[in-house]
Amino acid sequence: MIHVPDWLPRSNTVNLLAGAFLLSSLYVASQRRLLACVTAYQWNSVALALIALTVSLATGARHIAFAALLVLVVKAFAIPLLLRRVAERSHAAAEGEPFMGIPTGMLICGALVVIAFSQTRSLFGSGLSILSSCLPVSVAVTLVAMFIMVSRRRALMQVIGLVLLENAIFLAAVALTYGMPLVVEMGVLLDLLVGVALLGLFVGRIEETLGDSDTTRLDSLKG
Amino acid sequence: MTALWIMLALAPAGALACLLLKDSPWARHVVTLACAGTFVCAVSLAIQVERNGALHAANGWLQIDSLSALIALIVTSLGTLCAWYAGDYMVEVRRHDENDAHWAPGRYEALYLGLMSCMIVSVASNNLGLLWVSVEGSTLSSALLVGYYRRPSAVEAGWKYLILSSVGITLALLATVLLFYSSVHLFGEGGAGLQWTALREVAAQLDPRFVRLAFLFALCGYGAKAGLAPMHSWLPDAYSQAPTPAAALMSTALLSASLTALLRFHAITAACVGAQWPDGLLTLFGIFSLVVALPFLLVQGEYKRLLAYSSLEHTGIVTLAIGFGTPLSVFAGLLHLIVQCFGKALAYLVGGSFLRATHSRRMDHWSGALEAAPSLGVLLAGGGIALMGLPPAGTFLSEWFILMAGFASTHHAVAVGALVALVFAFIGLSYHWTRMLLGRPRAGFADALPARAQAPMYILLAVVLVLGFALPQPLRALIEHAAGVLRP
Repeated sequence: MIHVPDWLPRSNTVNLLAGAFLLSSLYVASQRRLLACVTAYQWNSVALALIALTVSLATGARHIAFAALLVLVVKAFAIPLLLRRVAERSHAAAEGEPFMGIPTGMLICGALVVIAFSQTRSLFGSGLSILSSCLPVSVAVTLVAMFIMVSRRRALMQVIGLVLLENAIFLAAVALTYGMPLVVEMGVLLDLLVGVALLGLFVGRIEETLGDSDTTRLDSLKG
Repeated sequence: MTALWIMLALAPAGALACLLLKDSPWARHVVTLACAGTFVCAVSLAIQVERNGALHAANGWLQIDSLSALIALIVTSLGTLCAWYAGDYMVEVRRHDENDAHWAPGRYEALYLGLMSCMIVSVASNNLGLLWVSVEGSTLSSALLVGYYRRPSAVEAGWKYLILSSVGITLALLATVLLFYSSVHLFGEGGAGLQWTALREVAAQLDPRFVRLAFLFALCGYGAKAGLAPMHSWLPDAYSQAPTPAAALMSTALLSASLTALLRFHAITAACVGAQWPDGLLTLFGIFSLVVALPFLLVQGEYKRLLAYSSLEHTGIVTLAIGFGTPLSVFAGLLHLIVQCFGKALAYLVGGSFLRATHSRRMDHWSGALEAAPSLGVLLAGGGIALMGLPPAGTFLSEWFILMAGFASTHHAVAVGALVALVFAFIGLSYHWTRMLLGRPRAGFADALPARAQAPMYILLAVVLVLGFALPQPLRALIEHAAGVLRP
């Protein structure tokens, strides 16, 4: 086991960063402009990388520092760059007519966060890891990201929901086990990067064929 | 051991060679030969495993036990036969289909081999993280194949496939993290907690709450990839839009590889919390997939979509059989996995020939197949018999065994339900096949592919029929030992 100094459970740094992680994902849920959502995702990834870095400083585990660096490069720079290019090429700068209004969506997201915080403790208990404060945040962002994916029409918004979901699971991995082995993390990040590039490609092709990236119009295949 | 490394290296090396060869006529032979090479390695590995027990390599990252040897045999043999057929098929598509992708030469072949290498790594990996990375890699390489054609429906199918599989596989990542976490108190934060063999040994000491949670997420994640209902909505779209050889490979080899990933989680869960709970879930999802497929089997106009729903049905049967949990049912489930893979690949490939011959995807345009093209008609009939589970195809035997095991176990009601569902599936499929085989052929029916493209299909037909009469002793031993891996 990695030796853990006892000052960290009460560390305000981690709590602050976890707060930033949660707020940036809620900002995505509240925004309709695509570029603003990409920026919020970027902040979300920066917060994630800083959490991992804090853990590595506190525990002295070097592989987490490497993972944090990779997260910074891939999730905070490369993927936002790709998403921004797709967004700029797209005709529509914002989410179209939503299934439900932003205020209703925010209320639902609030409820999801409350559920995540109240239920996570009962499942995982407290004090299992130095980062047990991050766990409810990770579960909350998982739920919010899934909500974003099902409540938005634009293809690119669904991609942003997916990468937020991935961030939340990365946070869970860091919080529960201080991250997986480095080789696995590298593979996961590579897959994610290629996946986002492919999804961006498909967003472009959807716009080409439909003249629009509204995924509810993808309904020709049935039965 | 060398065979393992050669098997892992051949497909990526072939992919690279195809990218370099570009439009040289050698590219298609490189694909077939690379796949055939992996098949030879898989056979040699299966023999070694049967002789000396499971092989381990790369500090426990890779492992070949009886189960992985069996799945590797399925993946590589079907990969070879589909690549063989694809050689002629893709030439025809590039020449005459106005929706052809116009990809840079060699790119299709490279992606095909990329998919093969991801599946081979996923089969051989012992590390659950590596397993995840390779299954996700197989999603990415196959998504481009699904969106191959330049028509709106292919874009739609590719998008649905990519986004649904990505979400599913992200949940499988959470499952991997949770399983890792349940073992941290035993192994610390080192990589050992992700090794399947290590987890399996200490399964009784893992934290059961997290193992249960991990299994639920794995069932959603890898289950979505294997196409279990209700996570199957991408399946008919993807299989009907992908070029036929790619669809055949995805609905057989990729499905087996994803299902194996789920079964690896199942084995750990069963060893940790007892077999009853995970078995119950597998049975539930199995019978649900079987029932969900029925209405679509009865009213379906498009051949490849019909096969996709038949694929859902057969995945359901395999899952159900493993969920019954008796030695006979697990054995029969694995046997059924093999036979239905060969039968389905045959049905897909012969469908590709009909698609090229009639330029129509609809079954009512294919009527009179036996009269118009007797040789193709016989192959079509063979594929139909295999999917319906009629004797003399091997699926009859395996489905018979599965139902027998179901009635002998405690799940009588489920077995009765499965029997009724199979009858309805038979009615649906036999209705469509009768209409396709008999009747008056339409004008302008001409097989566009050279006769040599039928050779791989006759091999598939032979395997399906032989397995209906006799199970060769070495294969039987391999399946028995693979069942032993799932259920010690």
